[in-house]
Amino acid sequence: MALLEVKNLGISFGGLRAVDDFQISIQKGQLYGLIGPNGAGKTTVFNMLTGVYKPDNGVIELDGKGITGQRTIDINKAGIARTFQNIRLFKNQSVLDNVKVGLHNNHPYSALTAVLRLPKYRRVEAEMNERARELLKVFGLEEKRDYLASNLPYGDQRKLEIARALATNPKLLLLDEPAAGMNPNETKELMETIRFVRDEFDMTVLLIEHDMKLVSGICEELTVLNFGQVLAKGKTGDVLNDPKVITAYLGE
Amino acid sequence: MKKLFGTKNMKKTTKDSFITYAMVILVFLIVQIMVGTGSMSSLLQGLLVPLCIYSIAAIGLNLCVGYLGELSLGHAGFMCVGAFSSAFFTKYMMDTGMNEILRFIIALIIGTLTAAFFGFLIGIPVLRLRGDYLAIVTLAFGEIIKNVMNVLYIVKDKDGLHFSMSDAASLNMAEEGTFLINGPKGIIGTPHQSTFTIGVILILVSLFVVYNLVNSRSGRAIMAIRDNRIAAESVGIPITKFKLMAFTLSAAIAGMGGVLYAHNLSTLTALPANFGYNMSIMLLVFVVLGGMGSFRGSIIAAVLLTMLPEVLRGLSDYRMLIYAVVLIAMMLFNWAPKAIEWRQRHSLKDMFTKKTKGVQ
Ligand SMILES: Nc1ncnc2c1ncn2[C@@H]1O[C@H](COP(=O)(O)OP(=O)(O)OP(=O)(O)O)[C@@H](O)[C@H]1O
Ligand SMILES: [Mg+2]
Repeated sequence: MALLEVKNLGISFGGLRAVDDFQISIQKGQLYGLIGPNGAGKTTVFNMLTGVYKPDNGVIELDGKGITGQRTIDINKAGIARTFQNIRLFKNQSVLDNVKVGLHNNHPYSALTAVLRLPKYRRVEAEMNERARELLKVFGLEEKRDYLASNLPYGDQRKLEIARALATNPKLLLLDEPAAGMNPNETKELMETIRFVRDEFDMTVLLIEHDMKLVSGICEELTVLNFGQVLAKGKTGDVLNDPKVITAYLGE
Repeated sequence: MKKLFGTKNMKKTTKDSFITYAMVILVFLIVQIMVGTGSMSSLLQGLLVPLCIYSIAAIGLNLCVGYLGELSLGHAGFMCVGAFSSAFFTKYMMDTGMNEILRFIIALIIGTLTAAFFGFLIGIPVLRLRGDYLAIVTLAFGEIIKNVMNVLYIVKDKDGLHFSMSDAASLNMAEEGTFLINGPKGIIGTPHQSTFTIGVILILVSLFVVYNLVNSRSGRAIMAIRDNRIAAESVGIPITKFKLMAFTLSAAIAGMGGVLYAHNLSTLTALPANFGYNMSIMLLVFVVLGGMGSFRGSIIAAVLLTMLPEVLRGLSDYRMLIYAVVLIAMMLFNWAPKAIEWRQRHSLKDMFTKKTKGVQ
């Protein structure tokens, strides 16, 4: 059974059919790519998968459970975490605290426990600190844990978003242009990190990316979107050599 | 890159709270010595409790404005609710021979909880909305509460309690009945139980609660909502729950200030000067000038700006001029570095991100 099964997903903004009859099927442990020209509807698909937008029609199933139209926080609890194309960090909090916000639901204690500083507070906070530092280490950010998030260099901010998403312990990780704005070296490093995360955390990853080196380097399968519709899908090598896909990209 | 915290984030925030506790206790001791040696004017002595009242209310408001990032223009309304509910209880219990300290503690709890209840009630619908509706609704709430208190009559006689919202005559009060709340005349004859010591204890209690809250999982959730609501939702933070928690607690603390206010005067009336929107704005001035998110700053600003006009009274003509200069100086001191930081952040953002609509 597929981990993510999406059928006939669609949404309109006013007269614009941003996404139409979208479908995708992702197996557990896959590194899957969603590509397409600017404005094709890729981010809109992510927004529907995570409940930011309610789809007009279609079905989304995660691990066999329907999550169509649910609230963002419930979808996160069900097991989908994401990053954003326009970085959305908690800018006025430290790097460590950004990850600790991601740990919120997995390391609970009540507000009263905090106010009264009960022993549980200290214990759970220590757990959180340890877990957060482990996650930061994966992205080489452990030394920068006390920086204000907004003071991180751009590439690090993208990595921190991934660390924060992973902190929620998802089944499926959605990355929206993780390499945008990175130089070739950083991109290469990021590719290795994404692969590491997949192997080490048993993660399934769906990523949007314009950088074809990254896409052909790590994605096993691709779906191509064009004007809100699926133009092609299949094994990465096949899709990238598909004449339809080449024209869509060149025709921009 | 540019701004590093101390060694460890936990340590830094703990240190910050301890500096504030130490500051409050130090000032308390200095005041005690000055009062003991008779070197404090009676004018200043009369200001001691009000300073505590405004400090507490400003701490409460800072939680709402600085941490939750929601504007409230009605915190005087929560003070008013706390003041009247607690004074009502005290007045009702006055001739029952109840222990005075116990009575005050219960009054304190009643005032705080009543304000919390109203904060919760307002928060439920308003905090669900996206946008700056809270400012408008709290502004209206503050004015409505103040006006309701001016037309509310409650008397106690042998038949029990009588209420009226129009005039005293319609109450059919028995001969020996007493007014608990007498319309625009308010609550008369509440005992003077607020002291500087109690005020300082309540400041410390408020500080303890807010510091421990903001340095916790709940506090991080509250700040995450302020910094980026959509990202907070994406990691599973229940937005409404934490907004309500912060706002209710903020109202409760303001209500506690109101209890202190009510028991510092023998007559409690709801006037524009004490519970009107000017007071709400004044509290906001303390919070903004003291630095949003800095509880210590709120206390310092509340104390300086409350004392200044009184201390300068002798200088009559120059009084307001000096007051204005101090306001500007405080603003520069607190906001110039922040303003620079803000500009830096936003230029970075513009450099790296495409402007696009919707969630990218
Ligand atoms: N909230 C919205 N309101 C109206 N139109 C929207 C909204 N969100 C997206 N769109 C439109 O939907 C279309 C698809 O946008 P989307 O952001 O999904 O594209 P994309 O494939 O992610 O592009 P890019 O590669 O540039 O990020 C665009 O025409 C966009 O203007
Ligand atoms: Mg996009």
